[in-house]
Amino acid sequence: MWKAAAAVSIIIVSTLAACSNNPYPDADADKKILYRKMRKSPPKTLDPAVAYSVVDHLVTGAIYGTLLDYDYLDRPFRLIPGLAEAIPVELDNGDGTRSVSFRLRPDLIYDDDPCFALGAPGASSRPILAADVAFALMRIADPDVGSPVATVFSRIVGFEAFSERLRAMREEDPLLAGERIDEQYRAAGGIEGLRVHSDRDLEIVLSDTFPQLLYWFAMEFTTPIPWEAVAYYDGEEGRDIFSEHAVATGPFRITRYAKRTRISLRRNESWYGIRHPEWKAPAATYPTGGTEADRAAGLLDPQYLGKPLPFLDGVELSFEAESIPGFNKFLQGYYDYSEIIEESFDQIVAEGGLTPEMIAMGMYLSKEPDPAMYYIGFNMDDPVVGRSGGDRSRKLRQAMSLAIDSDEFIRLFFNDRGIPAYSPIPPGIFGHEAGLGNPFRKVDLKRARQLLAEAGYPRGIDPETGKPLELGFTTAHTTARAQLRYQFFVDSWRRIGIDVEISSSNYNQFQDVLRRGAYQTFFFGWGADYPDPENFLFLLWGELAKSKSGGSNSANFDDPQYNELFLRMRNMRNGPERLAIIEQMLEILRLERPWIEIFVPEKYVLSQGWLRNYKSFGMSLPMFRYLDVDAPARAEKRLAWNEPVEWPAWVLAIAVIAIVAPGVVTFFRERQ
Amino acid sequence: MIAYVLRRFAYGGATVLGVLAFLFALFFLYATPEDMARRALGDKAPPPAIEQWIVNHEYHHPLFWNPENPGQTLLVDHYRRMLSFDFGRSDADDVLVTKRLREGVGPSLTLTMPLFALGLLLSIALALFVATFRETYIDRAGVAVCVLAMSVSILLYIIGGQFLIARTLKWFPISGFDPSPAVIARFLVLPVLVGLAASFGEQVRFYRTVFVEETNRDYVRTARAKGCGDGRVMWHHVLRNAMIPIITRVVLAIPFLFTGSILLESFFAIPGLGSMTVEAIHANDFATLRVMVFLGSVFFIVGQIATDVCYTLADPRVRLE
Repeated sequence: MWKAAAAVSIIIVSTLAACSNNPYPDADADKKILYRKMRKSPPKTLDPAVAYSVVDHLVTGAIYGTLLDYDYLDRPFRLIPGLAEAIPVELDNGDGTRSVSFRLRPDLIYDDDPCFALGAPGASSRPILAADVAFALMRIADPDVGSPVATVFSRIVGFEAFSERLRAMREEDPLLAGERIDEQYRAAGGIEGLRVHSDRDLEIVLSDTFPQLLYWFAMEFTTPIPWEAVAYYDGEEGRDIFSEHAVATGPFRITRYAKRTRISLRRNESWYGIRHPEWKAPAATYPTGGTEADRAAGLLDPQYLGKPLPFLDGVELSFEAESIPGFNKFLQGYYDYSEIIEESFDQIVAEGGLTPEMIAMGMYLSKEPDPAMYYIGFNMDDPVVGRSGGDRSRKLRQAMSLAIDSDEFIRLFFNDRGIPAYSPIPPGIFGHEAGLGNPFRKVDLKRARQLLAEAGYPRGIDPETGKPLELGFTTAHTTARAQLRYQFFVDSWRRIGIDVEISSSNYNQFQDVLRRGAYQTFFFGWGADYPDPENFLFLLWGELAKSKSGGSNSANFDDPQYNELFLRMRNMRNGPERLAIIEQMLEILRLERPWIEIFVPEKYVLSQGWLRNYKSFGMSLPMFRYLDVDAPARAEKRLAWNEPVEWPAWVLAIAVIAIVAPGVVTFFRERQ
Repeated sequence: MIAYVLRRFAYGGATVLGVLAFLFALFFLYATPEDMARRALGDKAPPPAIEQWIVNHEYHHPLFWNPENPGQTLLVDHYRRMLSFDFGRSDADDVLVTKRLREGVGPSLTLTMPLFALGLLLSIALALFVATFRETYIDRAGVAVCVLAMSVSILLYIIGGQFLIARTLKWFPISGFDPSPAVIARFLVLPVLVGLAASFGEQVRFYRTVFVEETNRDYVRTARAKGCGDGRVMWHHVLRNAMIPIITRVVLAIPFLFTGSILLESFFAIPGLGSMTVEAIHANDFATLRVMVFLGSVFFIVGQIATDVCYTLADPRVRLE
């Protein structure tokens, strides 16, 4: 009996001695490594032509270099050169076409990879060439790749024709599909509008002006890709597939890709910023600009200003399927920054700032509006709310707009994490200021009722039926939580006497309803691809009306004056002239009310005291290169925060023995 | 006996075919190929990209009936692939499903094997212990503890365990997994403890009933009369004679060690086959999901037949006809 008790005690003691809640190897404690979690799902693909989700871009943004980048601190966002030497200017070729010419930096090379032996026996790397950028664009056009952004590049001369030729040739000659990928593209004749003039020079010929093209060169879709990697990583003979294997061109490289547990990134010694710090290249140097607000947020620390990037030795991305365990690990110091989960929000944030407990832990809170917009749209093709109703419908839309309290909505459903919207352009995007002070985006029930009466619906009563006006509200979520949110709008409209019925479906059915045009009002959102007002105002451009062309203009808004202004605005550079046009466009929207702009979500990010240079970015763009950690401080805090509490184990052991032992003793005594 | 086994395999085969049909119907009742494409490509993917994805992943054929070519339907393809064990590539990330299975089975086994072995040893030992002290307060306390333990949902054990043991007492990491030998044990202790806590109550109750029933048999009284001690009676005679119910449970459970534990793996971020199944559900990844369901049903059938065979081995009186 006593032997058994002793054995149990020994097991408990040895387990406790070995135990620690540190999820990382102890030897890594002092390394300059950033720990970040991947949420919801592991990355789907590393193929830059396909990757289009936040978690994909977390990895691809770190490992692929882009021709252009964004300045880390400047808002509104500003492009800076990356792999390209300079930001190109679109030129008129005089024949109706226009050209954008990129010149790559000299001496750019790929990270070492066995695939390069395909091109030159024994080679482990090679220079990054302009032809590789053209190859990347051809892959986007390739129907077999299935890139979600293929339509974006259709203004490149010959882009769609190449896609069609490739498809036709593969159908005609199934053997072609078995050939090496670059041979296939060559056989299809390449893309006419991509002219490779030298190893470093690429000219892109456009059929029409396309100022937003440059933004797409700041995204990973257009990163140079070596054909060798695509040809080599084909999934045969134990090799990876290309979407699981990346050849780095950015500041980091992948050293371990167990994406369902941990992805390890380490410095890519082949990156130009590390090989040539003397260039002081803008995307490889910590910016020296920044505002007073940046200074106050600790983003202008002299030890970093103008210093070569990256500061970190590596990044460890751990996959957390469930949000609660991941957030608790962050609170133990095992992640360096984190979004705030719903369940813990009140423990972390109080009255817009951090709670004293969080401040005592040395945490920082950063808030940044996402370049995104949620809105209620009206179907302008509908006879009741749409354009054919003329002034009557306009007043109805205005009245409905006046009934909705965005502030209250954000407070109730998003813990105040959002900014009420007045126009389709969110903060941080050029033209946002022009939209402020919209007279129809405040709550004024009296005015709303008056407008409703003028529209022919006194107290919301439809004279034809003698009952309250009935409208349909189409939404894309079916969860109980979402229902509650939509009910808020319905209740708001009921206050002016209108009876709105929600019809909820999943996202696909929702898309289907929009395509068929069988809706009156709907709730929708949009997140920017790039920080240009065009990327929001195009959602109301007549050419893209859903009913006309299947485009993104789900409100089917088609106003000749707006359309004309949009085309002018689209092709202009930011400046007072563009702002004046944007103001005119917003004025049209203000009165016409195809949308009731609801709110811009705000991202709250909590970062540990030892994390340096964190600035929330809104868009899913690479930022690891700018971050740094004070590893010794982190190690100290982690130890202090995670001292195991041992006494309950002893109490438990003693309690079990105390309860069981007397019974055992009595039992044997009786037996004897 | 061979005829019996063959007959059981035939029944099992029919069951598996039914499961596959049921899965197919349920999945496509809930999701369309467009849903799958949108989940894979993101909400912003334009319609041409969605169509391209569907063609590239061969979901453009009709579901059940293709008048032009009756063999070209998703249902036929579904059966052809599963029955020939040609699992294809995941719809979420195009990785070979067999590769994902290979990667996932290791972490699953590192969790389920210790959980299974410890659970079995612990619950049999505890059951023998309380059966030895039956009708005393130890037995009654045992009943209370077991009933309490089995009445609580495993989710509560998971969240409570993570909160109490990992977050408050800081003994082990809250979640995570690292296959390197230096740290792997650290990640496994808590999920194994939670798994034990969630399962021991029911198991102990079951085995105790079995043992108590055996201790009332004549041979036990005879053994006692001949001067056999308590320990020898329980561990030697009673345990051996109670083997049949134990084998039933054990053999049935073994195949499922490979498919992992859905809840434990998801909450403790263990990259096994259980969490893979959950991810496949979230991602509308039909290619992976159907393989998991298919293997699960095959394992279940094999487990049942193996149990029957084991009966004859454990007890010569049992014959399979």
